[in-house]
Amino acid sequence: MGNIKVTVNHNRCVGSQLCMHFLPDVFDLDGNGQAIVCGLDDTDVTTLVQTAEQCPQCAIKVEDESTGEVLFPPAELGM
Amino acid sequence: MTTYLVKDDLMAPEVIADPHAYYRALRETDPVHWNERWKGWVLTGYKEVVDVLRDAENFSSDRMGYLASELTQEEQESIAPIFHVLKYWMVFRDPPEHTVLRMLLNKLFTPVAIERYRPMVRKIVQKTLDKVVASGKMELIRDFAYEVPMTVILELIGAPDLDRDKIKEWSEAIGVFFFIKADEPRRREIACEGINSMVEYIKPLIEHRRENPGIDLISLLISAEEAGQINYNDVIATCVLLVFGGHETTMNLIANGTLALMEHPEQWEKLRNDPKLLKKGVEELLRYDGSVKSTVRWAKADVMVGGKQIKKGERLLVSLSGANRDPLQFDSPDDLDVTRDPNLHVAFAHGIHVCLGASLARMEVEEAFAGLINRISCPVLEEESYLNYYPSVVHRALKNLPIRFDQIK
Ligand code: HEM
Ligand code: SF4
Repeated sequence: MGNIKVTVNHNRCVGSQLCMHFLPDVFDLDGNGQAIVCGLDDTDVTTLVQTAEQCPQCAIKVEDESTGEVLFPPAELGM
Repeated sequence: MTTYLVKDDLMAPEVIADPHAYYRALRETDPVHWNERWKGWVLTGYKEVVDVLRDAENFSSDRMGYLASELTQEEQESIAPIFHVLKYWMVFRDPPEHTVLRMLLNKLFTPVAIERYRPMVRKIVQKTLDKVVASGKMELIRDFAYEVPMTVILELIGAPDLDRDKIKEWSEAIGVFFFIKADEPRRREIACEGINSMVEYIKPLIEHRRENPGIDLISLLISAEEAGQINYNDVIATCVLLVFGGHETTMNLIANGTLALMEHPEQWEKLRNDPKLLKKGVEELLRYDGSVKSTVRWAKADVMVGGKQIKKGERLLVSLSGANRDPLQFDSPDDLDVTRDPNLHVAFAHGIHVCLGASLARMEVEEAFAGLINRISCPVLEEESYLNYYPSVVHRALKNLPIRFDQIK
């Protein structure tokens, strides 16, 4: 789990708060009303990817740092 | 321009024809402006607009609640059908009720989920264009922009055979209440008739799905109802909202976008030479002349916005078009640039009510323009026709767009 990296692109995030509702321990709001990652705890990768999928803006990126693989968003979305 | 500001007339013919000039003047002089005529604040700066939209704690969307407080009991009863349905629309609800509906429906509208419909949309686009391109002219809205979103939303709710003409008629009737013809004296009665007809039309469909569940949207709503997450009123209201909200805004964006590109043929050529730009191009069309110009919020407490004191209960007209042309956020905001990136516009709003159908609309409009740029040359306006917009504060809606073009063989 230590190798998973989750980031929020603030050039895309519109502050829908959806990620926070689905995973309140992982996502939080910053002072501008945009999402930030506050910690992954032991959240499993599948859950992280499923939550990233809920973002209407594809603002959440999930990567495996050890392999450099982007787990979300998939290349087909062209983001 | 100052004369508009003095008149505070959001429906003045000049403002309807060119809202961008009006909102620019307002933003430059008074980005949080008290409009005496409308008796509310008008926000035109990006920062102020975004701050309000992202702050559901201080700003309510409970339109029907605030409307009820302005009407007598008798007046409320005279438009009971509107209340019965619209107070369950997620777009007019605050947390926590909004959150339940949104989390439920969001799953069906994610960017990934929507990709499933792309091949179908592509086919509809081609079929629709097949019928018109050879003639070298069309009325873009009637002949093209209307077909795609209407077909798609009916497919999505699992009812492709519903009568589109009826749905269009009732949607227009409901629209009269909010957006269009604010000067129509019978607007409330007209909207009641529209709502009633649509509800009666949709009910049997819901019952049919209860007996024969599928993977469609209505079946999802019914299973949530049966699990006690939402109630029957939510099911009906959501169906009406999706049918109503799912076609007209998208249709108008296709029309506004076509017009924007007609006025910037070099941008049309850019898309044509590099269709990979379509995604960014659609974002820019949304920013440049989106189909929803504004939305409304109500202050839930005394709160400061852009240095002005807003009092509890006051309403705010949040100008999405104004924010989308703010030079503090966008370089050369009045230029159309299909390569613009980043482009964090507010055409779908921001915050908890950000458009549920955004990914769907984006995909449909991408496919619509992919079809157009491949099959026709950059169009020109039909001779002796002129542009005419519906008088609405909310919608940026052309009445028609007659065009000429060459077919690309
Ligand atoms: C270009 C096309 C569209 C535009 C410009 C647009 C714009 C918007 C805007 C600005 C809002 C926020 C309103 C507010 O915050 O007060 C919104 C909400 C909404 N839109 Fe759209 N829309 C479009 C297409 C669609 C489509 C295709 C659907 C349906 C499939 C749809 C369904 C909804 C729903 C259900 C909401 C309420 C979301 C919520 O309250 O959480 N829209 N839309
Ligand atoms: S779901 Fe996406 S847009 Fe919404 S707050 Fe999270 S990162 Fe931002």
